[in-house]
Amino acid sequence: MDFNLSKEQELLRDGLGRFLSTRYDLEKSRAAAKTGAGWQPDIWRGFADDLGILGAALPEDVGGIGGGPVEVMVIAEALGHALVVEPYVDTVVVAGGLLRRAGGSAANALLEKVVSGSAIVALAAAEPGSGESWHDVSTVADRDGDEWVLRGSKIVVMSAPLATHLLITARTSVGLSLFLVETDSAATGIEDHRYRTVDDRRAADLVFDGLRLPADALLGEDGKAWPSLAKARDEGAAAICAEAVGCMRKVLADTVEYCKQRQQFGQPIGSFQVLQHRMVDMYMEVEQGVAAVYLAVLNLEAKPDARARAVSAAKATVGRAARFVGQQAVQLHGGMGMTEELAIGHYFKRLTALQYEFGSTDYHVSRYAELTRP
Amino acid sequence: MDLAWSATDLAFRDEVRTFLQDKLTPELRQAGRLMTSVYADHETSVEWQRILHERGWAAPAWPVEYGGCDWSLTQHYIFSRESQLFGAPSLSPMGIRMVAHAIIKYGTDAQKEYFLPRILTGEVFFCQGYSEPEAGSDLAALSMAAVDDGDDLVCTGSKIWTTHAGEANWMFALVRTSKSQKKQQGITFVLIDMTSRGIQIRPLVMTSGEEIQNQVFFDEVRVPKSNVLGQIDDGWTVAKYLLEFERGGGAASPALQVMAEEIATVAADQPAPGGGRLIDDPAFARKLADCRIRTEVLEILEYRVLAALAGGGHPGAASSMLKVVATELSQALTELAMEAAGPRGRVYQPHATWPGGPVSEFEPPSDGYVSGDTCQAVAPLRYFNDRAGSIYAGSNEIQRNILAKAALGL
Repeated sequence: MDFNLSKEQELLRDGLGRFLSTRYDLEKSRAAAKTGAGWQPDIWRGFADDLGILGAALPEDVGGIGGGPVEVMVIAEALGHALVVEPYVDTVVVAGGLLRRAGGSAANALLEKVVSGSAIVALAAAEPGSGESWHDVSTVADRDGDEWVLRGSKIVVMSAPLATHLLITARTSVGLSLFLVETDSAATGIEDHRYRTVDDRRAADLVFDGLRLPADALLGEDGKAWPSLAKARDEGAAAICAEAVGCMRKVLADTVEYCKQRQQFGQPIGSFQVLQHRMVDMYMEVEQGVAAVYLAVLNLEAKPDARARAVSAAKATVGRAARFVGQQAVQLHGGMGMTEELAIGHYFKRLTALQYEFGSTDYHVSRYAELTRP
Repeated sequence: MDLAWSATDLAFRDEVRTFLQDKLTPELRQAGRLMTSVYADHETSVEWQRILHERGWAAPAWPVEYGGCDWSLTQHYIFSRESQLFGAPSLSPMGIRMVAHAIIKYGTDAQKEYFLPRILTGEVFFCQGYSEPEAGSDLAALSMAAVDDGDDLVCTGSKIWTTHAGEANWMFALVRTSKSQKKQQGITFVLIDMTSRGIQIRPLVMTSGEEIQNQVFFDEVRVPKSNVLGQIDDGWTVAKYLLEFERGGGAASPALQVMAEEIATVAADQPAPGGGRLIDDPAFARKLADCRIRTEVLEILEYRVLAALAGGGHPGAASSMLKVVATELSQALTELAMEAAGPRGRVYQPHATWPGGPVSEFEPPSDGYVSGDTCQAVAPLRYFNDRAGSIYAGSNEIQRNILAKAALGL
């Protein structure tokens, strides 16, 4: 039983925290997200070159440092605290995990690029008919000679507009499979509708109407992608739970500070008991969120059912906390909490969106109920 | 960072399990499982204390020189966790877990010599005299008078919410020895022999029908000054020290886990309103899942506090948070147990349970008939008694006041 970070993990946390507090400006990042390219490539370069965080949780044979879920937790929480929009979870955690488990030369070559910061990989999994259930896939991949032909559509593919590569889930005659596509070379067979999400990230709906891919685009074994996808979704969920904790810590601290400053009726509103108790409830939600993240992260390498149970417990807990803490932070800030003038509004949007990513709060409560049913 | 116990801890856990398997008789276990509140039936709890004492485990948290165990914090947690999972009856907290720590810290040699060994054997059984009718959350407003008269303090007034006052032969109490500007000053911590002249006990019948709480009246009760703990007029210092033990460091999650499992078992046998089993009813299943999730998270919170304590930290605000989270969760589970009990949850049948005190004005059926099973009989009594969770040991509103200051600097 040990809840301490190792020396290396502490250095990682502190180094990243320093980098973000000096180089990651909220307004600048919002500007890039809204009107610019959607992200700041120089920040990503910094992640790769100055900090080495892109490889922190990836194996040494692809240039990584060989860390694991705890490293991801430390990084994601710091990114959440600074409201970073750059696609760490999508590229390194979700796609990185899928590539690592698939193995093979193409996957390993791409992982090296992920570590060095030269590749952004997005997973195209959600569909109009199945939402976030990555299992019910109606996109099909038919074999035609030396090629695969993909037909179907994907929605809200996070980071697709920034991606150099896509991982696409599709059903072959054998079962659920995973295909790797370089976006430049495939541009012709993909109809792509790009947009911004409410929390200032870039995503796209994709339609494959006969996208032709070479035989070696199939990643891993034909028809056997589900176990790895299920794990990737749990890893993604655990990572954004940690990200949410970072967001919530910042939001709670800002709210407490605001209530100490803001004067009404001749005194700081933080002196009113009804508001103090509300903030204590926010604090207890955050602390339970922290504990929930530990529960998920420290069970990510357990057997699939134990892993799923812990991750669902965590995502349900953090989802509930994110909703409560976000909404109450806005309430306690009053009208200003609803504007984009303060940080709080931006964090609120992220805390709202992440409740629905990698399975909603309700989905995870239901999955937990199913896994614990006598 | 990891959740695994060390090999030493696992070996200790096995030792505890073996002990519990050997010593926890079916009757004791039944008494523990059918408790209707945090208090076990008095006789049972004394019997279990005797068995624990034989093994030297009655008061593990005491310093070794007084009969405690040389355990790590993790071992304390494991012992508490396993005891709850096995359904051991709880021991009364008043003596071993509370006043003894104050005696160890503030007691004279004579007080230590007299009380500590007798608390261990159960010969001395304490109740608590803190709250008064006009001093609840505002404890320092207490007014029970203690007038200086030579070698004695002469006490007149009343205490309330005194658990097991009728069973106890000693009380630790806060009394007012002087009045000053600051109400925390002038309070004295005394140990009162419950066989003294001038004491009257009036049991309070709780909504569960149990007589476990009491109001105690004092009419010129003479308490020798040798029974003052700490300094006269400085009892608040002792009380504050003791409060840390009342709130701190326990493990609530294992008992809540057991409750959730019992609810699941009952619900697997109960019909759902729309047909099928209750456990498969989506609305019920969600609520149960939600409670179990909160229990798993609470367990990690408790581990974290434990880890901080083991590293030399202070529980501080964390113990307030654990108290709030655990008691609110426990109350949610008692609601769910009522739902799982179905129509039989409305039947009053304390004879099928092990209440912590006598039940008044109730005639058990001569043939011992029980409608349904014992879990269904326990559910409403626990529901009523568990309202106490958010009231006792500093109401949850008081805990939130503490957290606002200590954790948020408000």
